[in-house]
Amino acid sequence: MVEAEMVEAMEFPELSDRHRVSGVPQTTINDGAGHVVGAVPEDHLIAEINNALKKVAVK
Amino acid sequence: MTQRLLNDQVIGQVQEVFDQLKEPVEVLFFGQKDNCDYCDETLQLLQEVTDISDKLTLQVHDIDEDAELARQYKVDKAPGTVIAGRDGDKIVDYGVRLAGIPSGHEFSSLVHDMVLVSSRDSGLGAKTRQALAKLTEPILLQVFVTPT
Repeated sequence: MVEAEMVEAMEFPELSDRHRVSGVPQTTINDGAGHVVGAVPEDHLIAEINNALKKVAVK
Repeated sequence: MTQRLLNDQVIGQVQEVFDQLKEPVEVLFFGQKDNCDYCDETLQLLQEVTDISDKLTLQVHDIDEDAELARQYKVDKAPGTVIAGRDGDKIVDYGVRLAGIPSGHEFSSLVHDMVLVSSRDSGLGAKTRQALAKLTEPILLQVFVTPT
């Protein structure tokens, strides 16, 4: 259910620009439904995932 | 002969970490013929790393020529690397991928990913596992990094 992809930001500038990557690491959830800059503790990441899913559900 | 990317000291350090490897790990590399600045270097790096342990094997593919396989493993960027498990002749995809060259700091992520997949355990806490078990839709986490 969960996939994780490390993206080297310099090699894929279009994708980095689209997700407005300004600081690394940046974690983007479901192609822009959510994002977190910096290191993410597990509970924080879970909260962000749930937020991202809610946002999509509202749309 | 091409110059090696990893010197003896680094290989020694990686060897120590690879002492923790448990189950076999299959690394799938997807390159591309044109417009891929880091494909050759990434492939060479993966060759050198997978040579360090018998528990690691490397498959080499092309994102265009092996498009079906790339789709199966959701690789849409080159160089793309999948760190999967190998169970007999079955490849087990845990959804762990790298897009771009894992050099600099990301070299340790590569080594760590291999150890994690080999352990067949995410290392996540009980609460996180419970939360993830409740997911009803797929989640894609893309972690943007720079190699320095």
